[in-house]
Amino acid sequence: MLLDVKNLNTYYGDSHVLQDMSLTIAEGEIVALLGRNGMGKTTTMKSIIGLVKPKSGRVIYQGKDFTGREPYQVAKAGIGYVPEERRIFPNLSVLDNLKMGIKAGRAGKVQSKNRWDLDRIYEHFPVLKERSAQKGGTLSGGEQQMLAICRTLMGNPELLLVDEPTEGLSPILVKEVRDMLDDINKAGVPILLVEHNLKVAMSLASRVYLMGKAHLGFSGTVEELDANPEIRAKYLEV
Amino acid sequence: MMNKTTKWILWSVLLVFLIIYPLVFGIYYTNVFVTFAIAALYAVAIQMLLGFTGFLSFGHAMYFGVGAYGTAIALVHIKGLPLIVSVLFGFASALLLALVMAPLVVRLSVTAFAMIHMAFGMLAYTLALKLRNITGGEDGIGAFPIPPLRIPGVFSIDMTDPTNFYYFAMVILGVSIWILWFVTKTPFGCLMVGIRDNANRIDYLGFKLPQTKAVLYLLVGGFAGIAGSIFALFQNLISAMELYIMHSFIQIMQIMVGGIGSFFGPILGAGVFAVLEELTSRYTQRVELVIGLILILVIMYFPTGLIGMYHHFKTRFFTRQAD
Amino acid sequence: MDATTAMYVAQGLHGLAYGMILFLVASGLTLIFGMMGILTLAHAAFFMLSAYFSYQVMQMTQNFWLALLIAPVVAGIVGVLCERFLIRRVHVMGHIGELILTVGISLVILDAVKAIWSTDSLYVDIPECLQGLVSIVGMEYPIYRLFIIGLALLVLIFMALILYKTRLGMIVRAAVSDADMVNALGINVPLVFMLVFGVGTWMAGVAGVAIAPILTVFPGLADQMGMDAYIIVVVGGFGSLSGAFLVSIIFGLLSSYGVQFVSQLAPILMFIFMAIVLVIKPVGIFGERE
Ligand SMILES: Nc1ncnc2c1ncn2[C@@H]1O[C@H](COP(=O)(O)OP(=O)(O)O)[C@@H](O)[C@H]1O
Ligand SMILES: [Mg+2]
Repeated sequence: MLLDVKNLNTYYGDSHVLQDMSLTIAEGEIVALLGRNGMGKTTTMKSIIGLVKPKSGRVIYQGKDFTGREPYQVAKAGIGYVPEERRIFPNLSVLDNLKMGIKAGRAGKVQSKNRWDLDRIYEHFPVLKERSAQKGGTLSGGEQQMLAICRTLMGNPELLLVDEPTEGLSPILVKEVRDMLDDINKAGVPILLVEHNLKVAMSLASRVYLMGKAHLGFSGTVEELDANPEIRAKYLEV
Repeated sequence: MMNKTTKWILWSVLLVFLIIYPLVFGIYYTNVFVTFAIAALYAVAIQMLLGFTGFLSFGHAMYFGVGAYGTAIALVHIKGLPLIVSVLFGFASALLLALVMAPLVVRLSVTAFAMIHMAFGMLAYTLALKLRNITGGEDGIGAFPIPPLRIPGVFSIDMTDPTNFYYFAMVILGVSIWILWFVTKTPFGCLMVGIRDNANRIDYLGFKLPQTKAVLYLLVGGFAGIAGSIFALFQNLISAMELYIMHSFIQIMQIMVGGIGSFFGPILGAGVFAVLEELTSRYTQRVELVIGLILILVIMYFPTGLIGMYHHFKTRFFTRQAD
Repeated sequence: MDATTAMYVAQGLHGLAYGMILFLVASGLTLIFGMMGILTLAHAAFFMLSAYFSYQVMQMTQNFWLALLIAPVVAGIVGVLCERFLIRRVHVMGHIGELILTVGISLVILDAVKAIWSTDSLYVDIPECLQGLVSIVGMEYPIYRLFIIGLALLVLIFMALILYKTRLGMIVRAAVSDADMVNALGINVPLVFMLVFGVGTWMAGVAGVAIAPILTVFPGLADQMGMDAYIIVVVGGFGSLSGAFLVSIIFGLLSSYGVQFVSQLAPILMFIFMAIVLVIKPVGIFGERE
């Protein structure tokens, strides 16, 4: 197993927002983590990357225990995180934003045909090249999302955590981002995807986890979810 | 929880202790105790602001100072001013200042609030230094008449006598602390805790947030002024030094050492500081070193202060019993 | 040039020199407090400590340049140690924890200084090549003050280069807006904070060495300067170097012209300026956030 998350319990002050949350990700797959707002999807991701510290449970990545480590240690080990709200550095140029993603020593660990660098990113996403001198804060929502993903790609992750990448984007841009994630995955990077757009999630993922309030509600393949309207009604429909 | 009887017994013991204290410990320690009690009221007032609303003020020495100057200046200029009225002068001056400041500060964020108070605090200090003909500058105002406490034809008590002054100060300071404590138990007190825990929700319930803060702000400024007023009477001297920024920090430290967020923590903290100053100045030249080290140790290892420490050990004690 | 104009120019230069020293202290504080959000009240103590170090180096080597090189670095190292082993651990408690801790550190430094060097004023000589006066547009002006202006400009340029031309600077600018995100991108943010704390302290240290020959070295050296620097950071706007620079110069000029025209009220001018700015714009002149 590439990533093995076992029985995480995470608190914000007194409120227990993750209760025995577990999930796994294997090489090459896209796994969707779905659920209504406020269920704890973002918190699950933050607990993995180390932005919040779980009280108990384990985060095992490539066989090593990363529970409670600093985010930069987890990131250096190869996990890339694309946060909700994008979190572009608004005062830095697009180019500098991309450079912020570079992780020293990681590029060598990736096969050269899969290696991400500035040239390859500019080639794939020419709009970023056009805007490279512009401040990150001046980009449109779609461009910012692209930049956020590319910034993380610059670190050549071996696993991507992507939180709501299509949030607030127009249908054309949604498709663009979807295809982008598909491409990245085809190039060999497994993805844990939190996504509100069910169609996008189902078209990308092979397996899904559904969250109820603070806990895991369902896990299975996309086909199983597809065949199970009660489960969908219980965990997804508003 | 303690039952009613134990509570009454404890309060009576405290009262008896306060009454016989000067008789047992003599003049020197009586004066040390008055200093402590003044610091206690001052710290409790600041704690109302800090602990119950999260507002950190780096400049409240100006309220203490204005209270002190208010009393001193009134006594210098008004012949035959009764004692109580002179204290009211101090209270009113501080309240007036708070009234002017409140509209400016109640809408600020926590950081801006702290900074602006530091700025105005320094302004007050500089003014006290420079406006020599009013404040006496560095020398301050001293040797002003201390009127006796009297009801004409009934009694007249000489307040230059340390023991008499002790009883007078205890009553004023004690009643002030009690009033502040009482306020925390009223719906207004609950509202303050609400402001701290969830600013938006209180506003949502229909309470006007800035106005609520303003009322609290006035209260805190006024009582800091009373502490200053008693200080001026006690020392028979008030100088610009009392407005120095360090005097705003010391209260925050006392609160921290005692335990943030608890009403009685600051009193404990003021007590610890009084004892510390007494001990260090007696046994070592290195007062700053000792206080500095204690601050570092407290914040590193007991950030919840003495009250937090007490709860910590109490829980441990009880869990061990349960085994 | 007539005498009055000459006087204006001389006062202006004096104000500029004082403003530059203020800026050295304040810009270090801008880095630490304004950008990294670490509320330190020990900054002035490091400034003073560096002045004492420079006195010590001068005692041992009689070489001002060596003192200028060594003292700020040693002060910076002390700062880094404080950050690494003390300040970092209370950062999660927010500003009040940092306030108490750094006041504690200041008190310990103050007392250590008194114990080692006594409370007397210690004299540090201006190096020979910087002694004397120089004639500018027909008036005599102390070389050393010009040197201070130059030194501060040099440090300013050095800092601007680091901030805008190096990866470290880029990381710092990114961390100002979102330190967690920087951390999640694989950058050792705690280490960066430590370095920045060191650089900021070093800058205060440079100011300490520069001021030592003018004011002499004594325990209260930092009182006024520290307060002013703090106010400058707030009035200029948290994290804004240009704000700190502008306000430093304004304060320097206010104090020198103030002494000239309204000597009684000179120190109050700064506070009036500050009060006006903060009441109109609580985030400071160039401030965007609180
Ligand atoms: N910083 C925070 N402090 C306190 N509570 C939070 C914080 N962030 C999220 N929460 C709460 O934790 C729960 C889970 O939030 P989140 O993980 O963001 O949910 P999701 O991503 O599934 O929408 C929610 O109830 C939310 O209100
Ligand atoms: Mg979310």
